[in-house]
Amino acid sequence: MSGIPFDENSSDFPIRCFSCGAVIAHFYEKYKDLIKKGRTPKQALDELGIKRYCCRRMFLTHKSIIKELIRFHGAVG
Amino acid sequence: MIEVIEENERYIKFLLKNSFPAFANSWRRAMKSLVPTMVIDYVDFYVNNSFFYDEVIAHRLALIPIKTDLNRYNFQEKCSCKGVGCPSCQVIFRLNVEGPKVVYSGDLVSEDPEVHFVYKDVPVLELFKGQQLMIEAVARLGIGKEHAKFQPVSVCFYKIVPKITVLENCNLCGACVNECSKKILRIDKKLEVLNILDCSLCKECVKVCENKAIKVEETNDFLFTIESTGALPVRTIMKKALEVLIEKAKEMNKILEEVHQTS
Repeated sequence: MSGIPFDENSSDFPIRCFSCGAVIAHFYEKYKDLIKKGRTPKQALDELGIKRYCCRRMFLTHKSIIKELIRFHGAVG
Repeated sequence: MIEVIEENERYIKFLLKNSFPAFANSWRRAMKSLVPTMVIDYVDFYVNNSFFYDEVIAHRLALIPIKTDLNRYNFQEKCSCKGVGCPSCQVIFRLNVEGPKVVYSGDLVSEDPEVHFVYKDVPVLELFKGQQLMIEAVARLGIGKEHAKFQPVSVCFYKIVPKITVLENCNLCGACVNECSKKILRIDKKLEVLNILDCSLCKECVKVCENKAIKVEETNDFLFTIESTGALPVRTIMKKALEVLIEKAKEMNKILEEVHQTS
């Protein structure tokens, strides 16, 4: 599991899959829970019923950028 | 003729039999770009001191599908209010929350209790201590041609169902069985085709056959796979797309008649 981000902030997880447009955002918190229970990402995604690899990579590669956004808070507007 | 293989409210897999590519493709395109759904299109921000920019929040809200009742609402341009916005062509969602809190799609309060988000647990943004968000989001009907957020389907495609024929000069060498990446061929006294719907028409079996004893042909059947975002049930999407196509065909007929008369 090394290298795969799995405990990221869910508040800026993409709402839809970039490629196919399926709604996936409501699965991310469940995905995190499953990972915390000790499932591998593959098992967790299979359990959530995410079949296509376009949607699966959205989970595997999500990296929250909210901490970077904080640095610019108040700089504009 | 349609033969349903697999179906639930959000997903359908069916065979369209004895049709032609022009119809299959126009139906597919109509489902993707001509069926109306309701989606948030305009957001008023009264207070927003969260870490997210206004436009980021508006964008995220627009991507969450809304349960749509097509009989209840009109298109804004065709409405009696002439696009100003009235209860029969738009729905307003209101939100006023303070942090620390994760804002979910279910937190937005709809003006019309029957129009609500399909998923209530989509995280929109996180508010930290002392942050406040006060917005008024306006949802309206639109079609996928205008903006992809209005598409009622996420995955919507068809493929042509092939037909595999084994000729009599097959010597059961098994080369095609090993070559098939979808594993749909089997030798059991003679060469058998297991699940033709899995065939991807790669024609590797034809290339590898020394006796030219196997033939892969296209048929007039189409295997459709449609997945709804939840805004409308798949059956409604299919029906509505056909209605739109009929309207368009009628319009085309009218134009053709006019051209015929003037010339």
